[in-house]
This record gives sequence, C-alpha cells and structure tokens, in this order.
Amino acid sequence: MSNTIQIAVLGLSLGGVFALMGSGLSLVFGVMRIVNLAHPALIIGGAYVAYWAFRLYGIDPLVMLPVAAVILAVTGIILYKVVFEKDAKAATYSEMTVLLTFAMAMVVEGALGTAFTNTQRVTSPDYATDAIFIGNVFIPTGQLYAGLVSLAIITALALFLKYSRFGYAIRATTQNRDAASLLGVNVNYVSLVSFAIGLGLAGAAGALVSFVFSFFPAKHWEWIAILMSLVVLGGMGSILGTVVASFLLSLIAAFVGAYLGATWSTLTFFVALFVILLVRPQGLFGEKPELA
Amino acid sequence: MANTMDQSAVLAARQAYNESLAARADKTRATWFPIALLIVLLALPALQFVGNYNYLLHLTLFTASYVVMASGWNILGGFAGYISLGHNVFFAIGGYFAGMIFARTGISVIILAPLAGLVAGLLGYLIGRITLKVRGPSFIISSLALVMIARILFDNWEFVGGAAGVSLPANGLPVQWDKLPAYYAFIIMAAFTVWVCYKIKHSKFGLGLRAISKDEIKAESAGIDTRLYKALAFAISAFFVGMAGAVWGGYLTYIRPNIFMAILVSVYMVLMCILGGKGTIAGPIIGAILIVAFNEFFVATLGASEINIFATGVIMALALMFFPLGIVGTLAKAGKLPRILNWD
Repeated sequence: MSNTIQIAVLGLSLGGVFALMGSGLSLVFGVMRIVNLAHPALIIGGAYVAYWAFRLYGIDPLVMLPVAAVILAVTGIILYKVVFEKDAKAATYSEMTVLLTFAMAMVVEGALGTAFTNTQRVTSPDYATDAIFIGNVFIPTGQLYAGLVSLAIITALALFLKYSRFGYAIRATTQNRDAASLLGVNVNYVSLVSFAIGLGLAGAAGALVSFVFSFFPAKHWEWIAILMSLVVLGGMGSILGTVVASFLLSLIAAFVGAYLGATWSTLTFFVALFVILLVRPQGLFGEKPELA
Repeated sequence: MANTMDQSAVLAARQAYNESLAARADKTRATWFPIALLIVLLALPALQFVGNYNYLLHLTLFTASYVVMASGWNILGGFAGYISLGHNVFFAIGGYFAGMIFARTGISVIILAPLAGLVAGLLGYLIGRITLKVRGPSFIISSLALVMIARILFDNWEFVGGAAGVSLPANGLPVQWDKLPAYYAFIIMAAFTVWVCYKIKHSKFGLGLRAISKDEIKAESAGIDTRLYKALAFAISAFFVGMAGAVWGGYLTYIRPNIFMAILVSVYMVLMCILGGKGTIAGPIIGAILIVAFNEFFVATLGASEINIFATGVIMALALMFFPLGIVGTLAKAGKLPRILNWD
C-alpha cells in the first residue's frame, strides 16, 4: 500500500513540471493555431541559461527562473516578427507551419549542441538531491519545489487570462479570431504577446527542468512527443486540460515505470498520444475536433 | 438509340482531344534525358578500371538511395498531401527484416529487398488505416509518435540486438568492386521508383490522390474511396522506403536503431521533396542531389554533426519561408522549367 502511495507521489511530483512545459505550447496553439514543435528545444535553451548561471556564478535556478523567462520571451518576440507574423495572420493550421517549427527545433538543437556539446547536464542546488519524509513516503524536494513553482505560475497565468482585460482579448482570440478582430481586438498584437508569454513559460519551465531532469540538446525529440501527448490529451489550447493531462499521464507513467521498468514509462506518453489522436482528437477539454 | 450514338461520339471526341493534349505534352517532354542519365549512371562504375573512384560511387549510390526514399515519401507527402515525419520507421523495418534474414541464412539483402519492401508496405497499410483518420498537424504529430514508439521498441528488442544492433557479413568482393552490388541495386531501384511515381501521377489513382490533397471532403463526395486511396499511398511509399532500408543495411554491414531511426533520415526525405518540389517527379531527385551535396560540404568543412543539424534546419526554414513550391514547382509556375527537368 505504502509502495503504491510512494509511486503515486513520485508520479504526481513530476506532473507539475510537465504541466508548465506543456502550458506554453497549449497557449500558443490556442491563439495562433501553430503547433510549435520548437517549444521543447527552447525549453532546453532556458535550461542552459539556468545551468550556466549556476555553474559559473552559483546562482540558484529558482532565482534564474524569471531571467530565463525574459530571455526566452524576447527570443519569442524576435521569432514572431521574423518568422511567424505572416502565418499568424492566416491563422489556419498549416502543414508548412508545423514543418517550419520543426526546422526551428533543429536550428535550436544544432546551435545549442554546437555551443555546449551533447553532454548530459544538470544543475545541483542543495534541494535537488534532498527529500522530505512524510511517514515512510518520501518526496524529492527538487521535484516538490519545481511542481509548486509550476503550479503557482500556471495559476497566475490562469488568473491573468480570466480577469485581466488583456486576458479577455487572448481568450477571445482563441475562441474566434475573426469575431475578436471585429470587436476591436488587435489580434496581431495579441498573437505577438501570447507567443512571447508562451516562450516565457518555456524559459521558466527550462529553469525548473535544469534541476529535475538531466538534459542535453538532442533530448527535445523525446520531449516533443511527451509534451504533445499532454497538450493533445488536454485538448489543444486548453490550459486546464494540459494541467489535468499532465498529472494523469505522469501518474500512469510512474506506475508503468514501477511495474514494467523505466524504459517503458516514456512509452506511456507516446502510446497515449497515438491513441488519443485516433480515438478522441479533441482531447479531454477540447470542444470540437479542431485538429482532425 | 440515336442518343447512345451521340454519347459515344462525344466520348470518342473527348478521348481524341485528350490524346492530342497528351501527344503535345509528350512532344515537349525530353524523354531522352532521364534515359541518358540512367545509361551514364549504369556505365559509371567502368571508371574503376582507370582509377579509384570509390568515393564518387559512394556518393552516387547514397544519392540514389535518397532518390528512392524521397520519391517514395513524395507519393504520400507530395501527391496525397499527408506529411509524415515518421517514414524512417519503414526504413528501419526494411533494413531489419532483410538484415536479420541475411545474417541467419546468407540470402543477399538485394534479393530480399522487394520482400522487405512488401513487409514495410503491409505495415504501412495497417498503420495508415489507423493514422490516416486524422489530417494536418495531427497526422504529423502521430507520425512523430510512431518514430518514438518504434525507437524504444527496437532499442529494447533483444532478438534484433537492442540498441547495439547486429553486424552483417561483408560481401567479400575486392575493395575496388565491393560497392557494385549496392550501387546497381540502388540505381535500378531509383529508376523503378521514379517510373512508378510517373505512372501513379498519370493514373486515376494519382488523380484521386491529388484530389485528396486539394480537398478531401470534396474528393470523397466525388466518389473517391479516400480511406483506401490514402492507405494505399501510405503502403506504396512505405514499400519504397523499406526496400531502400534493406539494401542500405547490407551496404553498411550493420543495422542499428540509431542509424535507421535517426530523425535526420526522415527530415531529409521531407526536405528533399520540399527543396526540389513537392508532388513533382523530378523534384525529389534534385532535392536528393542538393542535400547530399550540402551534407558532404558541411561534413567536409565543419565536421561536427550538430552543426549539420543546425545547417539542415536553417536550409529547411528558408526553403519553407521563401520557396514553398521548391525548385521545380517555382520554375514551372514561372513557366521557366527547362525541358529536361519536366518529368511530370
């Protein structure tokens, strides 16, 4: 019994980080209808920001989190202006845009790999290797902190979307771009800001990832499918859906890993992605099968 | 009675008109060029009598292998408009199927290649029946998931050597001639693939695929069995990629997941078609020549594989942003396509 609880706790403690990693992807898809396959590669970019700050100056990754977020958000603004502005205006799903983000993922991976090599990296602040015991169930402190910070950021994002005027504009654009535009929302500006926020979330997730997982540039291929499974299961564009899906799938993956071996735990996400796309392409919280 | 007479007269007139159009198209087509190219390529190994041109042969057969794969990919991605980033799975299946039989029985991979292609094609048909239910980005993502699943399965499948793979015996020919079997196999497969692509493009099946790529719902309401057509296109493209995988494994003399299931393999298939011109016959060939040349240039000058990934990504992004129709497509649209490149 306590063994089962232990596995569940370990699974859930990863869910928070996955939720943050996926929510930026979901937001960008919702507003711009762009499946940003470069998102995981950019998360790794954020992780390197935290890694080098820790390695060179001993700065805590949690302190670097806002810095990484801002750096990635600025990158997002540049990328949007240079690459995506044209596609965002069309606001239709297009294979070409997916391939474009795929190419961008390769560019980011290649650049990071050239600069920092494909060595496995991880930041190791004190709490990353510590654990808290509750009874005989232990929670790794690193994952606990990362999960709590993730949930705090996602809550802030949800409140921002729900109550601020700009949040209204973002949600209106997500629901119906043309109607929002008619009502005086500057959809191009909304898209730009949403893309910047999305990548800012990637940067923040990167700082957390840097002490939860070991990472190297080529690791994003694995994460693409993991994050897509979360976002697709949750319903593309639904941030609440992404959060629920993250906890659900990381819980299942933890049990699969515990009973069948660690190799198969990642497979859970890929098989889930495959099955969801075919059985319920709109996901848990999606309203219509938009992607199909 | 008179009515049916009229109808058949109309049909005959229409057929005559279509034939005159086809004849005019035939006149503007330089059929001699691909045939001459094929003869030159078949005669190329004769250079080995006067010197060591192994590197040239290697590059040519490497290009030919990518012509097979990119043209195969083009049947699904170019003709039917379903972009798959997971076709390296079929490359691996072909390679492993032929390679494992070769390692156990000694039957040459070149003889096994068509069989390996059929196995890949059958699997492609079954996977296609499932994944082709979804369109657009969902299909691309499902194809990526397919690669991830296949990679983990192959990495952990002890029978085929897991992540370490299996070594295959070399063909035992003297160094001067040992590339020849794979060379001829790839050249002939490339010619066959291009011929099949041409035939498909000019068949009812090809028209159906084109209709699907333009508007699937209209295609379906026009009476095209879209699910069957798409799955068949998937199977045929998997067949060619699997066949290339079979010979490639034998040529390398080892099969290993990280060679066959590297993401760059499927990216190259996509990129070659986009650079050359998606949905055209000559496009994938031009793309294959360009990419292999780029690849050699980057490996020769810069060496590292990471910078290669970077450069490939940059080329792909630029091509997508400024050249979405590819070389053949852009030239054809401007009416400036040279006759020798008009293979459609």
